[in-house]
Amino acid sequence: MILAPPVIQVLQVLTILFGAPGISGVIAKIEARLQGRRGPRILQPYYDIAKLFGKESLAPVNARIFFLAAPVLSFACYLTVPLLIPVLTTFPLPLATMGDILGGGLILAFASFVVAVAAAETGDPYAQLGASRAKTFGAIAEPVVLLVVFTVALLTSTDLPYALAATVTSGPGQIVLPAHLLASAALFLVILFETGRIPVETHTGTIELGMIEEARSFEHSGTHLALLKWGSATKQLVFYTIFLNVFVAPWGLAATPNLWLVTFAMVALLAKATVLGVVVSVIDNTFAKLRLFKITEFVSAAFLLAALAIFTLYLGRG
Amino acid sequence: MTPVVLVVALLPLAAALLCLFMPRGFNEAAAVVSGVVTFAGAIILLPAVLGRTVTIAPFIRIDALSEVFLLATAFLYAIISIYTIGYFARERRDSRHSGVAAPQFNRYSRKFYVGMNIFAWSMLCAPLVNGLAFLWIAIEITTVVSALLVAIDRTAGATEAAWKYVLIASSGLGIALLATIILYYSGAQVLGTSYDLEFDSLLAAARHLPSVPVELAFGLAVVGFGTKVGLFPMHTWLPDAHSEAPTPISALLSGALLATSFYAILRFYQITVTAVGPTFPQTVLLVFGVLSLLLAALYLFGQQNIKRMLAYSSVEHMGILAIGISFGVPIAFVGVLLHVLAHAAAKGTAFMGAGVFIHKFGTKELGQIRGGLNALPWSAPLFLLAIAALGAMPPFGIFRSEFLIVAGGLSNGRNVFGAVFLVLVILAFFGLSISTTRILFLPAVGTPIARGEPSVWMVVPALVGVSALLLLGIHPPELLMALLNHGAVELQGGH
Amino acid sequence: MLLAVHDSVIPSVFDGTANTVAVLVLLIEFGMLRASLFRSQIRLYAVQSATVSVLAFVVAAGRNLPDLYVLAAVSFLLKAIVVPAVMLRLLRGAKTEIAGSGALGVASEVVISIVVAAFGFFAIGALGIHSSVLPTTALSLSVAVVLVAFVLMIVRRDVVSQAIGFFSLENGVSMASLVVAAGLPLIVEVAFLFDLLVAVVVFGVLIRVQSNRGKTLSTTGLDRLRG
Repeated sequence: MILAPPVIQVLQVLTILFGAPGISGVIAKIEARLQGRRGPRILQPYYDIAKLFGKESLAPVNARIFFLAAPVLSFACYLTVPLLIPVLTTFPLPLATMGDILGGGLILAFASFVVAVAAAETGDPYAQLGASRAKTFGAIAEPVVLLVVFTVALLTSTDLPYALAATVTSGPGQIVLPAHLLASAALFLVILFETGRIPVETHTGTIELGMIEEARSFEHSGTHLALLKWGSATKQLVFYTIFLNVFVAPWGLAATPNLWLVTFAMVALLAKATVLGVVVSVIDNTFAKLRLFKITEFVSAAFLLAALAIFTLYLGRG
Repeated sequence: MTPVVLVVALLPLAAALLCLFMPRGFNEAAAVVSGVVTFAGAIILLPAVLGRTVTIAPFIRIDALSEVFLLATAFLYAIISIYTIGYFARERRDSRHSGVAAPQFNRYSRKFYVGMNIFAWSMLCAPLVNGLAFLWIAIEITTVVSALLVAIDRTAGATEAAWKYVLIASSGLGIALLATIILYYSGAQVLGTSYDLEFDSLLAAARHLPSVPVELAFGLAVVGFGTKVGLFPMHTWLPDAHSEAPTPISALLSGALLATSFYAILRFYQITVTAVGPTFPQTVLLVFGVLSLLLAALYLFGQQNIKRMLAYSSVEHMGILAIGISFGVPIAFVGVLLHVLAHAAAKGTAFMGAGVFIHKFGTKELGQIRGGLNALPWSAPLFLLAIAALGAMPPFGIFRSEFLIVAGGLSNGRNVFGAVFLVLVILAFFGLSISTTRILFLPAVGTPIARGEPSVWMVVPALVGVSALLLLGIHPPELLMALLNHGAVELQGGH
Repeated sequence: MLLAVHDSVIPSVFDGTANTVAVLVLLIEFGMLRASLFRSQIRLYAVQSATVSVLAFVVAAGRNLPDLYVLAAVSFLLKAIVVPAVMLRLLRGAKTEIAGSGALGVASEVVISIVVAAFGFFAIGALGIHSSVLPTTALSLSVAVVLVAFVLMIVRRDVVSQAIGFFSLENGVSMASLVVAAGLPLIVEVAFLFDLLVAVVVFGVLIRVQSNRGKTLSTTGLDRLRG
């Protein structure tokens, strides 16, 4: 059975949207197991989001319209990115070429910017703290993302995510390419940073000493908080998808618009994301959180990897 | 010739072994015999290498160029081994006064003799070995042995100097190894991969070597070996190591080790000039040479420490060698090779004199040494003569060699640099002579120091050194000049 | 010409693997900039030496140069086992374990090193030296290792880090020799290695002397000699 490309495109967004809380649940479960706890149910994030949707939304007295618009805006951003990246198929779908990998990066950055501005809007010290920290370290993380993008562009001579995935699957020579490995490693560090995992941040609990990501949604509640939480789970899966389907393991994608292949691609993506989630939770459990001022070192390590990727690439496609 | 070469190449090592196992009183004799015999061997070798190359097995190769450096090192080794007898007699007395137990001092002197003989051996091996790889190894050995000798006194200053020396010089040699490897690479393009960097095949193939790697190798070699030569700005270890080492070691470092490292640069120069023409290597050497000369001339003013002063004078003279090569004509090359010999004699004598001053006055501070001429009837005039020689006063050997270098520069149209050279050399001479005049002629303050030499063993070698300087200045032997001329031809790349 | 023929034969997987190993060597060098314990620094050096040996092994297998197997084995034995063991033994009596930070923060050190490494990279790349054994990138990487090792020696203020900096500089040079001088006769290579061993012993003796004298491994006190 052949699916129409627009349908697959919609499926891409839906996969990310509804898969994301599940992946978060799986990671939380594995983490708990690694720590010797039973942990929450895998479906717990869905329940949380559903519960929050049923609650009333409150806003601080001085907050303006931006505070209320931010969750919606950022959520919309996170839903736009899956259109641009190969979530399910190896071939570009409609609208997939409306933005390149840089465009995707910009949209993700915009989402995080919107949330940060909304946090600043509240006047709450914790939320502002989180926002300003996120932007401070983000200022170093952004160049890393840019360098990774440049690496992709140099590797494929285009800046389309689909093209890189195709290049990677083309042969083992492309996989052992140092530039590719370095860029992937740099991206992985950026993902740890962006999704607020150890060693950057303790994502569970609210310890204000090291809070970055968690602090920003302090003043939101009800529907808005639900959107923010869902949005941040979506963002995590979007990053995982870019990392997996563009850089590291672009296998299992549907090569033709066949229903079964697409279904398989959905399962494969979620399976791969789960494996990555396991890796992330192992890291979570083996490393200590860095002190706040050491995070620059962490990000500068990512920068080093990305810079080296460009160097090796520039010299005769090494 | 083979037995003589083997004696030169192995006797110092044998002496070191003897010092290690034989009773202590034997140390001095072993070193002196080894030094004098080695020098005699080097002289016997001289006629054999005029215009031809002595090769033994694949490892040893002597031509006129290596013979010059062999002579310089062996000469210094011989006179220093004599000087050391007097030096240790004084040290023994001093240590007894300061309550050091005799066995402890014996251990110290045994270590010193073993080290000094191995040090001399490694420096003699450097010009003897065939091939850039073995040359690098020999020079690395000189570094590690001399670093231990610098640290042998275990004072705070000696430890610091030794650490700086070993770290900076080893890093420099790391760069030199990179240079060697890159030269191997360019040689492999012509000779295939199974040659081992021996000179003859490299020189024969030099004309066909690819130019970019050779230029890179030469640049790296000048930086790398230049670190040990003491060229600016890699000279920073040099004044520390020279001032903190025991005096005989300072003399060997300055007179022989620096030149030996320069020999390595000359080998690279020989290949480079054939492969890529004279412009590139000469420009590199000119820049390093002029900068070293300038820096040394400036630092020579206002030095507080007598050995540091002499160390900066070494930087100056190494700069002169580099400039001489950069002038690129045979007459300047003859000057450079003569300069190597004359500098070994002059700097050895000057350091030996400085050692006597340090013993007599108990300080290295120039400001506290006064009335030297009255206190030391022999050493002070000899020191004065050595300083005059270092300042290129006639009739000493350095005057002749620098004259030849400048003449070469002028004959090759390097008038500006010839003039710069002269100005800087005169500046350096002023710096040296101001301090020297003060310590020799200014009257002693406070209690006058008793007149008398610490030891006759410390005077005789200085006399020999000054005589050698006079010989080189007034009438160098015919054979020697023939040797220098052959060396100059080899340096030209003509083979 | 010789090179052109080789280029067409080279499977790119070999190039990629070799380059990746070379990149690892450089990354470990950067790791040394960050390592703050003496022990971890020595361990990093051991890992780096092992990586260089692996590269030698890869070249030996990929280019059919049996000499290099021996070299890989000897260099592994000396540089990944003996030298680190000697260093660790020397440190057994030392009072301090922490090297202390360098003259700069780690992030600035890394940025400076990136700049320096980039210089080495492009300088070598611009020279157009091609080898039939390994891709040029590996040569550029080894020069970058040498330069970063210099940064390490300059910014760190303790004898152990400086010594390790020198040893890793030598690792960079060995890597360069794998690229451009893989055919260098074995005896010469092994002589280089034993020379390194002698240097290690001398460094060790001096570290001993320093730590016995000053009761410290820091070099901040080593600034009396000036002028």
